[in-house]
Amino acid sequence: MLRAAAVVEQMGIPTASIIGSGFLKQAEVIVKGLGVPLAIGVYPGAPMVDSEQDLERKVEEMLAPGLLQGLTGESPHVADAKAEPAPGQVVFSGTFDEVQEHFYRQLWTDGLPIVPPTRGRVDAFLACTDRKPEEVIRVVAQDGREASILSIAVNGVMAGCRPEYMPVLIAVIEAMCDPLFRIEDCGSTPGWEPLVIVSGPIINELDFNYGQGMMRVGRQANSSVGRFVRMFLRNICGFRIPPGAGDKGSIAQSFLVAMAEDEDSARAFGWPTFAEDRGFARGENVVTVHSVVSITSPIYSAGARAIDHVQQWAELIGGSFTYWAHTGFKTGLWSPLIVAGPSIAEVIAREWSKGEVRHYLYEHIKVTAERATHYAQMTSTPTFSFERLVEDGILPPEYAASSDPQRLLNVIIKPEMVEILVAGDPGRNQSRAYMSNHVQGPPTSRRVELPKDWKKRLQH
Amino acid sequence: MSLKSSDTHEPRYEVLWPLSRRAVKDTAAAPRIPDLNDKTVCELWDVIFRGETIYPLVREYIKARFPRVKFVGYSEFGNFHGAREHQVTATLPDKLRAHHADAAIVGIGA
Repeated sequence: MLRAAAVVEQMGIPTASIIGSGFLKQAEVIVKGLGVPLAIGVYPGAPMVDSEQDLERKVEEMLAPGLLQGLTGESPHVADAKAEPAPGQVVFSGTFDEVQEHFYRQLWTDGLPIVPPTRGRVDAFLACTDRKPEEVIRVVAQDGREASILSIAVNGVMAGCRPEYMPVLIAVIEAMCDPLFRIEDCGSTPGWEPLVIVSGPIINELDFNYGQGMMRVGRQANSSVGRFVRMFLRNICGFRIPPGAGDKGSIAQSFLVAMAEDEDSARAFGWPTFAEDRGFARGENVVTVHSVVSITSPIYSAGARAIDHVQQWAELIGGSFTYWAHTGFKTGLWSPLIVAGPSIAEVIAREWSKGEVRHYLYEHIKVTAERATHYAQMTSTPTFSFERLVEDGILPPEYAASSDPQRLLNVIIKPEMVEILVAGDPGRNQSRAYMSNHVQGPPTSRRVELPKDWKKRLQH
Repeated sequence: MSLKSSDTHEPRYEVLWPLSRRAVKDTAAAPRIPDLNDKTVCELWDVIFRGETIYPLVREYIKARFPRVKFVGYSEFGNFHGAREHQVTATLPDKLRAHHADAAIVGIGA
């Protein structure tokens, strides 16, 4: 929201922005990152829980005077930024414990011990890419810092990655820097987390776990790549929870270990792989980053027919994700990612294509218009209206085909929004599903670029 | 309490800065307008957090102090958050110019 205010202020038009008191520290970080001083009127507390009388009083006594002052009073200014070290500069020297303590106090760690990013370790990472350390992928919100190859290497070291993961780490940050991914929204209140999915021969080359226990910490590739994502969001983007600021995940969740697909099983059933579904050719190394705001319980399903399993998925995915789907209705996009256990996927694939699975889920997960509207109103949007969303072209016409509040609507907006990944324990009948946070962090893929002498470097 | 190692032979580590260059050019704020009479204030709203109630109250408060102020309502500018954030934000300069905006109220982050 402050980004829009900055656009206006840069036109030479003074602005005053409405901010809830709980968001002031985050606003401070954003303003600094935008480089534009912004006047703010403060609404004390949370407007969504105030009575009409309390809201009127707070506007009259606090918010409106603050906004008026912001437009008519002194121009706001941002405190001069402190001088900072140069990228790649040595900033501390000490024992292992002293390094941990220093980094923790500077808010540069996630609270767990980090691997000290010495020049030698960082250089080993840089040796696993043909790209220059000073290359900048993008300047990223909300601190306005450069997402450079060097910054990826330093944070990769700290997160406990191996040097040979570097091509994967670069592809992850490239995907997250795609404007469609909206990295600037990684600190929004739902507290969603980017999930990395790895595809291609690199899965085995780097020893990613795609079998039993694949979402547990324990396998270095999965665990450290997941940890790296949050380390990067913290240090380069500036998303920090208190005593820092900038990450407003109200309750939030911690990092998710990276996933990989059991591609051999998928191919053996005759299904395209996850990467092929996303438009990549067999043999290409790919990473996909997908926001996760909610996860189902483990979904156990039994039976020798496709319908036995897909029906169960529809029931459990509907039960878990229908509530938050109103955010997808507001934006016209959300994606469920189903991690299908290999034994289950095999049964389904005997009868159904992935397209048929998607279509079944699209057709069979329903919510009444009244319930979805209620959920939207409870969250943030008292003016939520399916009619307006259809009128604006955000939702297809069928969402406003009738004015009956009890009419049933598809929770999944389009069948193609369903993502399916074969992975997990082949010895058990379990699946699980992950929900993206509407337009924030939609599935975004990038090819992994390997250095010229990759095979040789792998042997070292 | 910080940890103190008793191993006097423990190696020391020279560690690199884990952040990166801040690459934003600071700009000054626009000049303020002490008298809003005969000025146009545009409302930009991201369609959340009870703006439909808050904006009219703010309007009323400012009008009571500057009776000749003119407001252009948020519906003129579209929702700059959510589905079409980038597209709508890109249209703001032209729309503000078309409405001869002198100032803007932007919300709501709560």
